[in-house]
Amino acid sequence: MISTMEEKPHVPAAPRKRKVPGWAVAMLGVAGAIALLSITSYQTGFPQLTSSGTTQTAVRLALPILLAGLGGLWAERAGVVNIGLEGMMIMGTWGAAWAGYQWGPWAALVAAVVFGSLGGLLHAIATVTFGVNHIVSGVAINLLGAGLTKYLSTLIFLPLSNNPRQSPPVQSFDTFSVAGLGDWLGELESGQRLFISDVAGILRGLVTGVSPLTMIAILLLPLSYYLLWRTRFGLRLRSVGENPHAADSLGVKVYFHKYVAVIVSGGLAGLGGAALVLNPGQLSYLEGQTGGRGYIGLAAMIFGNWRPGGLLGGAALFGYADGLQLRSGGETVLALVYGVVLLLAVIVVWQLIRRKWFSAAAAIVVAVLMYLLYISLDEIPSEFVSYAPHMVTLAVLAVASQRLRMPAADGLVYRRG
Amino acid sequence: MSSSTSVGTDEHPAVVLTGITKRFPGVVANSDVHLTVRRGEVHALCGENGAGKSTLMKILYGMQPPDEGTIEVNGEQVRFRTPSDAIKAGIGMVHQHFMLADNLTVQENVVLGAEALHGIGKKARARIIELSGRTGLNVDPGVLVEQLGVADRQRVEILKVLYRGAKVIILDEPTAVLVPQEVSELFDTVRGMQEQGYTFLFISHKLDEVRAIADSVTVIRRGTTVGSADPKTVSSRQLAEMMVGSELPSPETRESTVTDTVVLDVKGLKLMTPDGSRPILDDVDMVVRSGEVVGIAGVEGNGQTELVETIMGMRKAGSGTITLQDQDITKLGTLARREAGIGYVPEDRHRHGLLLTQPLWYNRILGYQTRKPTSKGIWLDTDGAKKDTERIVADFDVRTPGIDVPAAALSGGNQQKLVVGRELSGDPVLLIASHPTRGVDVGAQALIWDEIKRARAAGLAVLLISADLDELIGLSDTIKVMLRGRLVADADPNTVTPEDLGSAMTGAGATSASVQETGTAHGTAVVEEGEN
Repeated sequence: MISTMEEKPHVPAAPRKRKVPGWAVAMLGVAGAIALLSITSYQTGFPQLTSSGTTQTAVRLALPILLAGLGGLWAERAGVVNIGLEGMMIMGTWGAAWAGYQWGPWAALVAAVVFGSLGGLLHAIATVTFGVNHIVSGVAINLLGAGLTKYLSTLIFLPLSNNPRQSPPVQSFDTFSVAGLGDWLGELESGQRLFISDVAGILRGLVTGVSPLTMIAILLLPLSYYLLWRTRFGLRLRSVGENPHAADSLGVKVYFHKYVAVIVSGGLAGLGGAALVLNPGQLSYLEGQTGGRGYIGLAAMIFGNWRPGGLLGGAALFGYADGLQLRSGGETVLALVYGVVLLLAVIVVWQLIRRKWFSAAAAIVVAVLMYLLYISLDEIPSEFVSYAPHMVTLAVLAVASQRLRMPAADGLVYRRG
Repeated sequence: MSSSTSVGTDEHPAVVLTGITKRFPGVVANSDVHLTVRRGEVHALCGENGAGKSTLMKILYGMQPPDEGTIEVNGEQVRFRTPSDAIKAGIGMVHQHFMLADNLTVQENVVLGAEALHGIGKKARARIIELSGRTGLNVDPGVLVEQLGVADRQRVEILKVLYRGAKVIILDEPTAVLVPQEVSELFDTVRGMQEQGYTFLFISHKLDEVRAIADSVTVIRRGTTVGSADPKTVSSRQLAEMMVGSELPSPETRESTVTDTVVLDVKGLKLMTPDGSRPILDDVDMVVRSGEVVGIAGVEGNGQTELVETIMGMRKAGSGTITLQDQDITKLGTLARREAGIGYVPEDRHRHGLLLTQPLWYNRILGYQTRKPTSKGIWLDTDGAKKDTERIVADFDVRTPGIDVPAAALSGGNQQKLVVGRELSGDPVLLIASHPTRGVDVGAQALIWDEIKRARAAGLAVLLISADLDELIGLSDTIKVMLRGRLVADADPNTVTPEDLGSAMTGAGATSASVQETGTAHGTAVVEEGEN
């Protein structure tokens, strides 16, 4: 019927590059990271880099970051910047401790989600209904979270624990391990063979001492992906974050979806708080316990390019850096510096192949500096070591934030009409 | 293919609007509007910007309720509270400003809000592929919208409407963003769909297009319908007089004022994409003389924006030189270039021209923060800025309650008059005008044209970029055609037609003696050279 179409010069859409599927990239990345760590541990003689103990601690420490990051993902996909994750997380820790010492760990989870959601609701009311700048509202919630929990702790926890900064101990979850597999992996790990022992160590860490909360957190990741990318609700939620005017013109309830997203976001951040309280090493509420993990969660999400898979990678990276410094201290963190040098060497080669001379030169300079640091020090000063995760955050974001794509209407206040 | 194929039988008309009146505080947007659209026709609604076309369509599409009057669809009186009510009645709207989310796929954009019809998975995909043939859209539904060109985005908008089962489609200024070839493709699509029984309401102020596509025309002026016409018999002039109520302005300049004094001399200018894979600007040579208007024609995205931004110093040229009045400005920053005598009317006044939340006099200072009368030494001279803003408001007929209102309070035309007035202050030697009359009403357009002509007669060199080919042909002394970052042809504005220009812009080659190709050859040869 439209006979003239073929004859007309048609300005074609840009040809699409053949894409390597996302899961393949992820698998390659994981394999590369393990190879890098295993070479580093072999070269420097620190098996702790890939030991099951380190991995186990890393998983525990990555959980709060993962959950906070998921919270950020929900809110930002709907176009609301949630810098208040930290505050919602603090509320979650208090809620988890308050319910946890009375009724056990499952109640702690529920209370943490409820407390976090309340923070989310507040953020939604401020940003969506009243059009407050998202950062201002988020910072206010961070201050509010810290202040409110301090007040509540003094009121409720002081008579019980004689300490206004700490709650009574909370009952922990029963953990379980995959028995036969763990032993077999343990044998492999102690064999000290390049790569195989490292993989075994990491796997063993992943299947030992698993708590229900770990399972829930890991399941929440694919669940979030499914909800946000594979359902009608998720499509609407994301459309609100990309172009709310278009969504509104198609009958999508913009405010409703933003509210749901931010409340879920708060709930997930609260759950992240519960993961801190129910951490076997601690098992109580402590003032200042979150230590900026809400922000790191947000950073992990940005590092992951606002996608769940990337977010998992970011959380794993920060959790690992944190776990390593906690478990084995300055010497091993220094070994990690050696690993960074190796990684930079790979980057240099890659940039040379792509003929990016400036990037290659910059990478060489940084690599040389790092290497000098590595050979001139015996261990990283302990005062500095506890900031390893924050340093990693800074470095990774500085490098990775070049090609990121945030939702188009993220952080913009939407007014109907 | 379609159930309804009857055209013009004595059934009920598709849409009848009777006595529609809509008041906003202080303004009557529509008063007593009558409109009848027969089934299966293309009905054009003509009127100037601000005549009330958009308000009327918002009422028909359920975005705003009318204060008085009735709407009938297929003979039944209806009352729309939201657009979804209108969609249920079979009315769909393609907005002038696309309502698409760039980072979502074609399929996601189409099914959004209508997931109940076919879900969001394979069934939806099949239906989209089936429907996209009718709109001439030839892309995979899984492609991101940001990868599509303007014409394809428009097809996605039409597809959205079809997917929801619309039978009456409102096209709001659909040709504003298209080049002539794309316009005729759109018209082919419209005619093809008309044969399948769809009814179109075509909103436009481009009269030639209206006469080319419409079966009947209704003219609206100052919020009310002033009459209908048969596009087969009425002339553009008659339509224009119905629309404006008086004579139309024209961009045409009569006598040449071109001198021999070279003001801007661009030699061998190159600019690469950020990843260095391909050139955006490729060996651009260009001269603009005092008293001359050089127009650049080109489909958007062929390097015009980057050319302007490189001359302004907002992008750093890869190689080549830019000389302004014998001064090499290639290495200077943007402010220094402005101080050297370049005025710049940016293509997007909201992003680059104005601070919307700031008062007018504050906007007067932008770009002149180091010069009189808006600065004294290191201090800003607010009194001087205010006084000079008053001058611009008076000279350029900026309709505003005062100079202390924020720029956002002004209409697009008045904002643009302010920008043009500011950029012509301080005696520039070169004016770069990117789409100077885009999205402004006829009155402001005439004023801006007059001011450019006056400045040109006084010896100003002007580099004009415009998508409005009539404007380009009317104002320019020389026209250069830009394609894939190269200036591929020169055209003589005295003889060239918009169609010739359009064909040169899309790379189809010269179709007329008025367009002279420059360089070796066009098309593939150009690309090969560009890759060396």
